[in-house]
Amino acid sequence: MSDGQSLWILLPTGQRASGEWIDDTLHSRAEEQGLLDRLTQVATFPRQRVEVVRGPKAEAGVNEMFYRRGWTDGLPIVAPTMARVDAMLRAGGRPRNMVLGEAEPLKGLVTVEKVATNAVMAGCEDAHMPFVLAAAEALLEPEFNLRGVQTTDENVTPLLMLSGPAAKAMHMNSRFGALGPGWRANAAIGRAVRLIMHNLGGGWPAAVAFAGLGQPGRYTLCLAEDEAFNPWESLREELGFAVDDNVLVVQRAESVVNVTGGLNDLATVMASATSAFSRLHGGTVAVVLAPYVAKLLADEGKSKADVKTYLHENSQAPAAEFEKSWLPARLAGQTNFPRWVNEGVKAGWVPAVETPDDITVIVAGGDIPIPQCAYMPTWGFPACRIAKKIYLPQGWDPSPET
Amino acid sequence: MLRASAAAEAAGIPSSSLVCDGFLGQGATTAVGLGLPNLPMAKVPGHVDTQTDNELRHNVTSVTVEAVIENLTSAPPAAVMIPEPGPQDVVMDGSFEEINRFFYENGWSDGLPIVPPTRAKIESFLAFTDLPADHVIGKIPPDNRQATVWNVAINGVMAGCRPQYMPVLVALAEAMADPGYGVEHSGNTPGAETLITINGPIIKDLEFNYEQGALRDGFQANTSIGRWWRLYLRNVAGFLLHQNDKGTFGNTWRVVLAENEDVLAKINWPPHAADFGHARGDNVVTISRFTGGDVIASVFGQKPEDMLPYLADALISQTGWQLIFTVGLADGSYTPLLVLSPILAETIAKAGWSKDMVRQWLFENARIPASKFEQYIAEFTNLYSGGRSIFELTQLGKANALYGLSKDPNRLVPIVCDPLDIQIAVSGDPGRTNAQVFSHNGILGFPTARAIRLPNDWNNKLAGAE
Repeated sequence: MSDGQSLWILLPTGQRASGEWIDDTLHSRAEEQGLLDRLTQVATFPRQRVEVVRGPKAEAGVNEMFYRRGWTDGLPIVAPTMARVDAMLRAGGRPRNMVLGEAEPLKGLVTVEKVATNAVMAGCEDAHMPFVLAAAEALLEPEFNLRGVQTTDENVTPLLMLSGPAAKAMHMNSRFGALGPGWRANAAIGRAVRLIMHNLGGGWPAAVAFAGLGQPGRYTLCLAEDEAFNPWESLREELGFAVDDNVLVVQRAESVVNVTGGLNDLATVMASATSAFSRLHGGTVAVVLAPYVAKLLADEGKSKADVKTYLHENSQAPAAEFEKSWLPARLAGQTNFPRWVNEGVKAGWVPAVETPDDITVIVAGGDIPIPQCAYMPTWGFPACRIAKKIYLPQGWDPSPET
Repeated sequence: MLRASAAAEAAGIPSSSLVCDGFLGQGATTAVGLGLPNLPMAKVPGHVDTQTDNELRHNVTSVTVEAVIENLTSAPPAAVMIPEPGPQDVVMDGSFEEINRFFYENGWSDGLPIVPPTRAKIESFLAFTDLPADHVIGKIPPDNRQATVWNVAINGVMAGCRPQYMPVLVALAEAMADPGYGVEHSGNTPGAETLITINGPIIKDLEFNYEQGALRDGFQANTSIGRWWRLYLRNVAGFLLHQNDKGTFGNTWRVVLAENEDVLAKINWPPHAADFGHARGDNVVTISRFTGGDVIASVFGQKPEDMLPYLADALISQTGWQLIFTVGLADGSYTPLLVLSPILAETIAKAGWSKDMVRQWLFENARIPASKFEQYIAEFTNLYSGGRSIFELTQLGKANALYGLSKDPNRLVPIVCDPLDIQIAVSGDPGRTNAQVFSHNGILGFPTARAIRLPNDWNNKLAGAE
């Protein structure tokens, strides 16, 4: 058979250090949950690194097969051929067998090659690879609590915020529709992270991941901080990096709440039950300020620290309201709320987070005189704001292939 | 060193193995081979040998201790069988190039082209053994796959062997499976390589090179059987680089060393296999793992007394840290190999020296100062810690009595515990006065011999072979 009819593909799924494939565990879970009528080929793949798919419709065949094996997010994937993965690996600049860690909860080894395989599937350009690697490393940091994120009944998902000049160079959107569709970097890097969680950690919805509803951010939740519209020091500088650095900041986001309004409206939303989990565990939340709002605040002479302090001081819920809200009422006497929450209850007011610094603020969005902001509450323990400096390999070229 | 933990767990005693950072992957794969894939391990960050006491203390208290407590107080989860392709499955259908790419990319090949192991080719190998294809030779750690006649043949085809080499391959698989050899150590960091030696009329039957260039590639039997050894370690034992083969440098396979039995007969020296209880004329393979060695060029002299000092010196110069296998780890398991070219063996024998006399002389003269010995096993390497002298170890019953005859640090002590620990073989260019010394890996690849069983009607089958 001619090579044109053969796809040499790398398997994206997780293998433990002991050699076990996570699919064998997932098969049991999927069977218990009645998922095998849809995922008809779970754990039926050949137990090897590379598989050859033949025939005139090989790419379509790979797509259908991967879906039935449970290896996708439901959308078509790009077949991870050896040539595509090799190109991705070259762009990543790291050795393919390097092990970054074990992805919870099923402990598939996160090797650079597996990361590249999932990045190809997600539709990443080669130039995205250093960012996907950094995101994968962030997921593996203990404070990310990947096990919790993957298995909780809450809808939490990783939030990726890129601060640095590379964002513009590779067309990562930070303006109109930055949290929406249309830009490959936002779409594919976030999707690669989800596929890594899915295929290496085994966070299959309804089999291992029991988030009640999930959220659209579980396909991708990735945006850039806008360099030009940000009137203050950048997020990376705030976190101690140099202005020339590219830094990926990863947090846990329970959802994205749109707030068309100014700081006061944001604080009102933050004061509500949306902040239930930062009050339960402590934690780091994120606020996206519209360029218009940021400019008004800066023109008033407010610093980013002022903004954070304002939001902290004005996101306080009355103690009575907090106590009768669902979580505290439900968990009364069963769990220990953080000390700052208990003190807030005594004082009559409970803020959304412990300190102003627990609020990450970036500027992004369209350049229109409308205050379209967003609040991203968090879930889980411990507090998490992971900053990964990106090391771009020599020759990194973000210009798309022609 | 997970085997002690595995024994403890098997006896129902909780264990926790301390494993340095870079070895966690190897630990996990080794644990599978031990039948306890979830053997609890506690990470020690970095490598202990390069850390100060303070760094080590900090690493252990901040990371390791917590894992040890967790390991000792919770039950490891149950083992799961890892599915693999079945032994009879056709895994790939395609061109020669495609098969080769497929095998290579899946880690089943060493980087050189393999001969695709088709059913017909495998069958042609099976014709050269009377054992059934599904005969189980043993289990090979660390992956603990079964060594079968079938997978011996598959790897034989892949390695470029001829079908008639099959009896040799089966004997080698049997030797590999012998616990006395210690195949499970094959992925250790010194990365030593096995040398296969062969004796018997089969040397000529299969046209092994036993003369000039005996250790060089170039003869199919010597080369392809050496390659088979590594492929079998890869595909059946499961040693893979960047996983559980942690050889720091390693080296490629050694070709099979065949002895020059014509010369042995002429000088009336026993074959190498006689050291392991086999008679002259027996077909035997012997495996032994050697860390390195060197050619000993131009051994000058007309009589043994002129030549042996150089050979004794060569044994000394090619032996360093390996002395830990003489005293310290598995005492008395250091068995270096001296290969003499025929002209050297004949010159020595002509003076009336038997092989055992040569060994006795070398044993008495290949000696080093006790202080030097102690440097190799302790000061330089920390392989034996605690600061005791070899004299003191003898007093404690932890070293051969030979090392406790005096306290004088300048006294000369032998490098092996027994004259018979010096292996001698005769091969190479019949007319050149060179020798070769192999330094040995002790119990981590102890000499192990197996008789080669020929199939019925061997001679006819051989005559019919291509």
